[in-house]
Amino acid sequence: MAERAPDRLLRMLGMVAYLESHDAVAVDDLAAQFGVTPDQVLADIDTLWVTGTPGYLPYDLIDFDATAYERGVVRLVESRGLARPLRLGGREAVALVAALRSMAASLAPALDDERAAVLRSALAKVTAAAGDAAAAVDVQLPAAATPQVGAVVGDALARGRRLRIRYVDAGDRTSEREVDPIRLVSQDERSYLLAWCRASDGERLFRVDRVVAAEVLDAPAEEHGVPERAEVFTPAGGEPVTLHLASQGRWIVETTPAEAVRDLPDGSFEVDLQVVQPAWLRHLLLQAAHAVVDVRPPEVAHDAAAFARRALAAYAPLVPAGEGS
Amino acid sequence: MAPAIDPAERLLDLVIALVNTSGRMTKQQVRSSVAGYQDAVSDEAFERMFERDKDTLRELGVPVLTVTDARHGDDVGYRIDPDAYALPAVQLTPAELGVLSLAVQVWQDATLRADTSRALTKLRAVGEGPSATDLLAGLAPRVRADGSAFGPLVEAVQERRLVRFTYRAASSGEVRDRTVEPWRLLARRGGWVLVGRDRDRGAARSFRLGRIQGAVRAVGAPAAFAPPTDAELADAMAAWAPGPERVATLAVLPDRAAALRARATAPGDVDAAAIPGAPQLLAGRDLVHVRYRSTWELAEELVGYGAAVVVLDPPGVRDAVLDLLRTAARLDVPQAVDHG
Repeated sequence: MAERAPDRLLRMLGMVAYLESHDAVAVDDLAAQFGVTPDQVLADIDTLWVTGTPGYLPYDLIDFDATAYERGVVRLVESRGLARPLRLGGREAVALVAALRSMAASLAPALDDERAAVLRSALAKVTAAAGDAAAAVDVQLPAAATPQVGAVVGDALARGRRLRIRYVDAGDRTSEREVDPIRLVSQDERSYLLAWCRASDGERLFRVDRVVAAEVLDAPAEEHGVPERAEVFTPAGGEPVTLHLASQGRWIVETTPAEAVRDLPDGSFEVDLQVVQPAWLRHLLLQAAHAVVDVRPPEVAHDAAAFARRALAAYAPLVPAGEGS
Repeated sequence: MAPAIDPAERLLDLVIALVNTSGRMTKQQVRSSVAGYQDAVSDEAFERMFERDKDTLRELGVPVLTVTDARHGDDVGYRIDPDAYALPAVQLTPAELGVLSLAVQVWQDATLRADTSRALTKLRAVGEGPSATDLLAGLAPRVRADGSAFGPLVEAVQERRLVRFTYRAASSGEVRDRTVEPWRLLARRGGWVLVGRDRDRGAARSFRLGRIQGAVRAVGAPAAFAPPTDAELADAMAAWAPGPERVATLAVLPDRAAALRARATAPGDVDAAAIPGAPQLLAGRDLVHVRYRSTWELAEELVGYGAAVVVLDPPGVRDAVLDLLRTAARLDVPQAVDHG
């Protein structure tokens, strides 16, 4: 897809401002500075060279040193009033500040002192550059991991080393495994470690809040060619389950990947789920118990209700019979 | 006929013309003298092209001013405000630029990703060197935008314009149009929240962005309402502040709930043995203490363990868990659920 005009405009303005404060810059260095190819830099310079004030006679135009340019070096001679870098737009400033604040909140446990300091200074500088715009957002998100586990996982990722983890699954079963960490994916709701599990010889998403212990091993993490977007949770197989929920259960479709959602006239709704782990669904039904109108198939409701009754029985010594029921 | 001028080049010529103009440029002057506008085949085509370009520049942060001149009646002109044009003085290290490159990947929404990417392009101009990308290797922070409302709401907050949108209240399921003075956007567990004054209710309200249906429309002029006082804002945000940190006391079956045990903390000032019935339970269970801030969040977590975890204290958490369990225990009883 062709680049959009506003994006190219901003880069060309940025190049003029950059060249204004750097005497002579090689085309390749300018390309690296702006994250584009050298060919794109040449195209941008050629365009800049013919732009200027109306009249467009030689002294009206942005100008470069032609001799230097023949040697692959860009030297700005005339900036036509574009010498200063352009301020951030309101939405740009907020989008960047919000992204940095969420990084600072969620990644904190996974960063060593040096990297945490860089993130802090970047945030401080951008917040200052954003001015009043930064006040439009307030970010308070949970950390991706406990300090202990976060530090170990962050260290393994930074140094490309294998990890040994103790992991508790949705059914509360604990296991120990060796994994090659790929990415720590932190989200507003909870965070995941995408890793190659050596025991099951495949990539797995581990909920970081269920990694109860982690240790960096001496072995390097192997490359496994896991695709770029592998952390997007796509349930494979699983049992189809339909929940009919009152409106208060709306949060479920805001936090759970659903196959389909149908709004009903009375404000309630139905949601279709693909359930891989029965324990996960049971927990969801207990959390949302007040909003559940109906569950299909009915065995799922029966399983959750029986689980709840067993839990209530465990409270018997604390809760005298008849109280509250 | 000369080949059409690239839109980026036309925008650049417009910026340079409006930066260097002595006083102002009228639309007609733009049309007759700025390169690229001669391509317009009709008056209407020129109008569309110029209005769109002007909007684009303003959206990008270029301060295009509208200047009226008493001697020319209604004939408005334009110029770029040189005092508002520039970024405040700042320099970024390659490592800091690397952090900003990762920030571009944070947004899951294409529009906000584009906004963040444009901010990065501008800041590359004040970078001391190309961005160092390996610093945060392996970290993939993500933020959802919860639909398309974020961008328009940010603009409305900054311009203090009223917004109108259709909202589904989760408490009742009622879908209704709202007119709101937007104050601030909050990122919280579970998504984005707008706080502002609901014009129809005449009171501060919170709105989850994910429950806004369709488009958010800004209505009326900028600076349409007084900013909230510090007290009003603090009041409206109080519901979204994390509660004080407390300690819950749990009785856990052996070898169960390892995730809770992993974050166990020192006991609070509660004597578990003094809780009626607790000694009997603890004969076969371990005492585990965990920190928490939200009663309902902890209760929703603990019910997942079923009989393996019993809450001894505080009574608020125990009651919240019992309430969920009693309700769930009736899930297989037909028609037992209260629809209210």
